[in-house]
Amino acid sequence: MMSRRAGETILIGEDIEVVIAHIGRSRVKVGIRAPRETSVIALEVKLVRDENLAAAGGDPAEFSSLIARWHPVSQGLSRPTDKVGVRQEAGTKS
Amino acid sequence: MHALETKLLGEINYDDDAVIEFPHGLPGFDDFRRFVAVTLENAKPLVFLQSVEDAALCFTTLPVLSVDPRYRLSLSGEDRDLVDLPATRQPVIGREVMCLAVVSIRETGATANLLAPVVVNPRNLKAVQAVAQESGYSHQHVLMETAVEEVALCS
Repeated sequence: MMSRRAGETILIGEDIEVVIAHIGRSRVKVGIRAPRETSVIALEVKLVRDENLAAAGGDPAEFSSLIARWHPVSQGLSRPTDKVGVRQEAGTKS
Repeated sequence: MHALETKLLGEINYDDDAVIEFPHGLPGFDDFRRFVAVTLENAKPLVFLQSVEDAALCFTTLPVLSVDPRYRLSLSGEDRDLVDLPATRQPVIGREVMCLAVVSIRETGATANLLAPVVVNPRNLKAVQAVAQESGYSHQHVLMETAVEEVALCS
């Protein structure tokens, strides 16, 4: 743990600088200077990326089983679906 | 009309004006920008987001309101701008935007990503997978735990 005031900087290793740019009531603005090859993203973005990679790796058999099991699950949901414009506006004929 | 032999859905046919464009791709799939939304009669309410650039890339999704009827969108201004939605307020799900949660299947069951719903503006078919920071929603919202029950029965 380390305490810093607005405008102060933290150095990580030799070449990563973290500047506390602004402290608001519930948010802190942080400036980060890092080498080009260092990825700087919010943790949530990494979670979503990992989740997408896992989701896209699904094999067809698993989804068939999801479809087969869907019925009992859908009874547990209070409404079947929002009637979005998928079919009309973005649907494809399969 | 294009025909595409997909890995998950078999052959699909689609028109160019049905293609949904993700200007920034999706996290982890930044280079894949063009998808079509496919619904199957025997797989409702699932919506499949099939890449038209890669026959093997398909996300299985559910309308967020079918996962959580009280789901609240919190699109950032940047994301609203990206898909040309009004900057001043959150769009209404189902009326102004199509909102889908990506589903993952793992050994413990199926989960839906409510932290980062796919939001499509049906007027221009531009889309973004919007990370809802500070929303409190999970990226692994549990849909069903059938696998866990099966394990319990077998043991």
